[in-house]
Amino acid sequence: MQPNLTATPPPVARPGMFSELREIRRDLWEHRDLLLQLARRDLKVRYKQAVMGFAWAIFMPLLIVLAGCMVRLIMAEMSGSTVNRTAIAGLTVKSLGWSFFVGTIGFAVQSLTGNMNLVAKVYFPREVLPLSATLAQTVDTLLGTAVVSLLIGFLGVGPRLTMLWVPVIAVLLYLLTAGLALLLSCANLFFRDVKYIVQVLLTFGIFFTPVLFEPAMLGPKLSTLAMLNPLAPLLEGLRLSVVAGHDLLTPLVEVNRHGQAVLVWSPWMLGYSAAWAAIGSVASALLFHRLEFVFAEYV
Amino acid sequence: MAPPGIEFHHVWKRFHRGELHDSLRDLVPALARRLTGRGPRQDELRAGDFWALKDVSFEVMPGRALGIIGPNGAGKSTVLKILTRILRPNRGSCTVRGRIGALIEVAAGFHPDLTGRENVFLQGAIMGMSAADTLRKFDEIVEFSGISEFIDMPVKRYSSGMNARLGFAIAAHLDPDILIIDEVLAVGDYSFQHRAFGRIRELVRRDIPVIVVSHQLDRIAELCTHAILLSRGEVVREGNAADCIAAYVLNPTLSVVPQANSTDPIVLEGLAFESDAPIRSGDRMRATVRGTVAAGGIPDAIEGLAVTVRSAQTGERLFSSSTRRLGVELPARGSFELAVELQLNVPPGIYGLEVMVWDRQRGGTTGQRLSGYVQVMQGPDFSGPVQMNGTMQVLALDPARRS
Repeated sequence: MQPNLTATPPPVARPGMFSELREIRRDLWEHRDLLLQLARRDLKVRYKQAVMGFAWAIFMPLLIVLAGCMVRLIMAEMSGSTVNRTAIAGLTVKSLGWSFFVGTIGFAVQSLTGNMNLVAKVYFPREVLPLSATLAQTVDTLLGTAVVSLLIGFLGVGPRLTMLWVPVIAVLLYLLTAGLALLLSCANLFFRDVKYIVQVLLTFGIFFTPVLFEPAMLGPKLSTLAMLNPLAPLLEGLRLSVVAGHDLLTPLVEVNRHGQAVLVWSPWMLGYSAAWAAIGSVASALLFHRLEFVFAEYV
Repeated sequence: MAPPGIEFHHVWKRFHRGELHDSLRDLVPALARRLTGRGPRQDELRAGDFWALKDVSFEVMPGRALGIIGPNGAGKSTVLKILTRILRPNRGSCTVRGRIGALIEVAAGFHPDLTGRENVFLQGAIMGMSAADTLRKFDEIVEFSGISEFIDMPVKRYSSGMNARLGFAIAAHLDPDILIIDEVLAVGDYSFQHRAFGRIRELVRRDIPVIVVSHQLDRIAELCTHAILLSRGEVVREGNAADCIAAYVLNPTLSVVPQANSTDPIVLEGLAFESDAPIRSGDRMRATVRGTVAAGGIPDAIEGLAVTVRSAQTGERLFSSSTRRLGVELPARGSFELAVELQLNVPPGIYGLEVMVWDRQRGGTTGQRLSGYVQVMQGPDFSGPVQMNGTMQVLALDPARRS
C-alpha cells in the first residue's frame, strides 16, 4: 500500500490573483444560465408553498419599519419631542437595505450544505450556489423597493437629484453582501456550526447597525464607532441621499441638543465602505475559489 | 492525428478515513499555511489517509470507448469524479478536451417541489446546457422520457422510475464532446431500459471519447473497445475489454474480501482441477476441494460449500449448487476432500469456478472464496450455445433388408 515515492509530482503552478479573478468571471459567465435557474428555483420554492406568497418580499422590511416606529416613539416620549415623517421615511429606506443583507446571508450561508447532492455529484463552479441565493434575494428586494418607494412618497419624500447615489450604494451593498455570502457559505461547509453563529449575529446585528436609529444620536465619539461597521455608511448614505436630499460628496455636521458638533457624514465614510466591499468581495472570491476543489470531500 | 480527448496521467488521489471535520482551531493555521504556499505538501500520506487512486494512467481517443471495471471500492467513482472536475488529484494530471456529458446521477439536481417541466430546465442548466438548448430540445426530452402527461406535476409525486427516466432523458440529450456513463444502464422498466440502451449505443457510436463504468459486464463487453481493471486504486490490467472482464471475473481476490478467520466453522484450503487441458463442450470436469471443519462442528446456518460457475465474458452466474442442496454431508470435524464434478453443457469460452462457504443467516459467504477457471472448447458433436445431449436413431429400416 506504500506509494511509489520516486514518482515526483509535476510542479503545481499557482496562477496570479488577476488570472484567478478572470477565471472566476469566465466560469460564472459560462454558467450564467445555471445561476438564473438556481435563483428561479429558490424563488419558486419559496413562494410556491408559502401562504403569503410574494408578500414575503415586503414582510420583513415592513416589520423592521414598525419596530423602528416603536423605538422612535419611545425615544420621543422620553425626550419630550415628537416623531416626524422624515425620521420614519429614513428608517423605511434603511430597513430595505438591512433586510436585503439579512435575507441574503441567511439563505446563502446554507447554500452549499443545502445542495450537498449537487456539490458531491455534479461539477459546476460552486460560486453559483451562494450567488444564486444572493440573486434570489435581490428580486425580493426589488419588489420591496417598489413598495417602499410608494411608502416614502406617501411620507412626503419626492424625487430629487441626490437619489442618483442610490445605484452607487446598491452596488457597494451588493458587493459587500455577496462577498460575505461566499465567505460564510464556504465556512459553513467546513464547520457546520457557522450557521448558528450567523443566525445569532443577524438577530442582534440590528442593534449594532444604524437601522432603527441614527449614529448621530449616540454623540460624537460613539457615532464614529458606529460608523466603523461597514454597513453603517451605506445605510446612512441611503437615508441622507434619498430622504434628506444630501449630496454624499459634501460632509455634513449637525449640532445635537447637548451643543456638541457631530459629524453625520463625510465622503470618506463611503470610501471606507467601498474599500470593505472591494477588498472583501475579492478576498472572499479568491478564498472560495481556492478551496472549492475540496468541497466535494467535505460535504 | 487528433490528441486523446481524455488523458489521465499518473493520477494519485488521497482520501481520509472517517470524519473530515477538524476543529476551527486546527484549521485556521493550516489554512494560512496553505494559502501562503508553505506547510506540509499536498501529496504526502498522513495518519488515517489512504490512496484511493495510485498512479492511474489511461487515455481515450475520439471514437474509442473505455470500460472501467473492478469491485466496489476499487476507485471507479473517484476516477469519474476527477474526470468531471468534482475532485482534484493530489498528484498527476487529468486533461479533458471538450465539454463533458455525464450520464451520472441524472436526477441529482431535481427539486421535489418543482414540476417536471421546471426541473428539466434546472437539471439541464446543472448539466451545462444553455436555457436556449434546453428549450429547443424540450419536446424531444419529454417524449423520450415517456411521461409527457405528468410533466406539469411536482416531481415529489413521481415514482422513482419516472424520476430516473426524466433524468436520463435530459442527460441523453446533451451534445457532449466527451461522454461518461456510470451505472445508468438499468433505468426504468424493461422497455425504457431497451430504449435507453439504444440511445447510449447511438451516443457511443459518435466519434467522441467515451468512458463507461458498470457492473453489467456484458454491457461493457458490448460497448467498449478497451478496458481497465481497477483494484484497490491500482490498474491491475488493461487491454481489450474481454481480457479485462475475464481477469476480473476469474480473480475474486481483487475484491476487498476478508480472509478466513479463526471463528469460521469451515476453512477452505485449496481447489485443484483434475487436468489443465481444455474440456470439450458437453464433457465432464472434475475438481477437488480441500478444507477443514473446525472443532466446533458445522452450525445449522451454514449451507455447506457452494459452487458457482460464471461466464468470464460477461460475469453472469450460470450455475450454483451446494453440498446441502445435493444432499452431501461434510464430516463433523477434521479435514476433508470434496470431489466436484460438473457437466459443462456450455458453449466454448472461459468459465470461472468459485467455491465458497455460504452462511444462510448472513445471506452471504463467510468471506472465504477459492476460484479457478476452465477453458471449454468446441465439442465434436454439436454447435450452438446449449448442449442438449442430442441423440439420433434411425427407426425405419427397409423391411427387405431386415431379414
